[in-house]
Amino acid sequence: MRDNTLKYLLVLPAIVVVFATAIWPLIESLRLSFTVGRLSRPGSLEQYLGFENYIWAFLYEPAFWNSVWVTTVYTVLTVGLTTVLALGLALLLAPGGRFRSGVQTLLILPFAMSPALIGVSFRFMFNPEFGLFDAVFGVLIPPLADVSWLVDPVLAFAVCVMADVWGWIPFLTLVLIGGLASVPQDTIEAAQVDGASGWRVFRDVTLPQLAPVLAVVVILKSIFSLKTFDQIFMLTNGGPGTATQTLSHYIYFNGMKYGQIGYAASVAWLMVIPMIFLTYAYAKFVFRKE
Amino acid sequence: MAEVILKNLTKQWGDFVAVDGQSLEVSDKEFLVLLGPSGCGKTTTMRMIAGLEEPTEGEIWIGDRMVNDDLPKDRDVAMVFQNYGLYPHMTIFDNIAYPLRVRGTPGSEIEPRVRKAAEQVELTQFLERRPKALSGGQRQRVALARAIVRTPKVFLMDEPLSNLDAKLRVTMRAELKHLSRELKVTTVYVTHDQIEAMTLADRVAVMKDGVIQQLGSPDEIYNDPANLFVAGFIGSPAMNLINGSIQGGQFVTTGGTQLVPVGGDDRKEVVLGVRADDIRVSEAGQGNIDVPIYAFENTGEATLLTVQWGRQRVIAKGDRYLRKEQDDMIGIALNPEHLYLFDPNTGSRIRT
Repeated sequence: MRDNTLKYLLVLPAIVVVFATAIWPLIESLRLSFTVGRLSRPGSLEQYLGFENYIWAFLYEPAFWNSVWVTTVYTVLTVGLTTVLALGLALLLAPGGRFRSGVQTLLILPFAMSPALIGVSFRFMFNPEFGLFDAVFGVLIPPLADVSWLVDPVLAFAVCVMADVWGWIPFLTLVLIGGLASVPQDTIEAAQVDGASGWRVFRDVTLPQLAPVLAVVVILKSIFSLKTFDQIFMLTNGGPGTATQTLSHYIYFNGMKYGQIGYAASVAWLMVIPMIFLTYAYAKFVFRKE
Repeated sequence: MAEVILKNLTKQWGDFVAVDGQSLEVSDKEFLVLLGPSGCGKTTTMRMIAGLEEPTEGEIWIGDRMVNDDLPKDRDVAMVFQNYGLYPHMTIFDNIAYPLRVRGTPGSEIEPRVRKAAEQVELTQFLERRPKALSGGQRQRVALARAIVRTPKVFLMDEPLSNLDAKLRVTMRAELKHLSRELKVTTVYVTHDQIEAMTLADRVAVMKDGVIQQLGSPDEIYNDPANLFVAGFIGSPAMNLINGSIQGGQFVTTGGTQLVPVGGDDRKEVVLGVRADDIRVSEAGQGNIDVPIYAFENTGEATLLTVQWGRQRVIAKGDRYLRKEQDDMIGIALNPEHLYLFDPNTGSRIRT
């Protein structure tokens, strides 16, 4: 057998797997997004509508716009809070920071939990009758004793954000600790001797050199926030009402619960647009040339 | 402008003593070199002066102020790092201007001062570039310019030339010396390179295991070493150290060869130190003793002859036109004016 043929034969299994699990579902979902696609109506998966599903989402579905809004606010809040808190923690935990490495190992625990498990745990903790938060707040801040956290739209949303931030901080902290370790100690010490205060050393020297890693962190977290599903599904199931219904949850509901596969596919493809944008930015930062 | 005074300065990490109760006075405008092998505590000493390391014990004075509790930024020192410590995201101009900016120098003053510093290190054409676009020697100049752009009380230089290639190091050494004589600022310079120490220093402090072994002018360090360590560390090739004893005023090698009159009382164990330059090389039969050549090296400017002398090898410097082969016999004679005797157990110098 020629080397050339062998070379292609060796990568063939990988190509087949990628095609079957990624490329084909993508193409198929794109096709479905142009069909009537109702699970309850046989044959409707081949009934083409053109762009009607997309138009429907844009013009006649307030629930779609609601989930776009929820997803946007959710993403901005979780990305912002997680990044800032993780950066703070990383500065404390980095070599030369104030805390030592024993704490780092403990911190990874939340990340080791599955998002669905985090969702369930937080639902229990915020239970108004026997939840941990209820008990703690009841003692510390009596007016908050009997607040039904997951019943109020704003509070339920806040709990979702909190659970997500809690779950993601460790991983991003670890990434940022790695980033901080690659900032040359020399430059920081040079700035100290040059006369910079602690804050100016951070602003003028540490932060600019950390910027590429920070960008990767923000982009990655944005991607994960945009597609959040399991945690919300377990924690609030999109409720109360649609107060915490993210796009993924909206797609799931329309596709799996209402059986409108064609419509769900079209909304899913609308979500692909910002994803492609972010993935491109991510690739650009990660594979950037020196 | 200020003197630097260290009083009983100690730095410990756990059980490890990096600097052991050192006292040192660097006079105003003096260029003092801390010289020693790696791990001898010289860099730690400098970092404590800069405030990057906290002393375990002792006091550091800069001028008439004890600075132990001052942050690096408040000590008014400038430091040149071994890896330069340039800010990679700033242009050369901004790198040099940084110490001025963070200290609140008025904007109109910054530009002329940066230009002047850049001129002093011959960097003016690179001001808009980033450090990455510069060669090692140029980066070194940027680090220097950043240090001299303001007039600090003290310059601290941590092996600033060690990352340069050999040829550039010689050029930069001369430039550094020129600059330091021009600026006349108290300087503490750390190096493990004895040539740098000899050429740059007003005074050299030779360190080992956190303790200063000898403090003196380059001449004193070279010609009057205080102990075995300093004798072996200073000079290239290193000083020959020959084991033997003193019997009736004569130095006798361990192998039993009577070699050279040194005077003094009889001693069972003694180390004789002699520099390669102080061994006269002649034809066989014309020196104190005839020995075979173990290796003959021609460096161009001189010849180095390693001779096998019983169980020891001794290196002698010969005339640049001398030509010999391995295993040839030659005669050598030690210059009795420049011999040093040491106690092999304590390492201290025996003066007769």
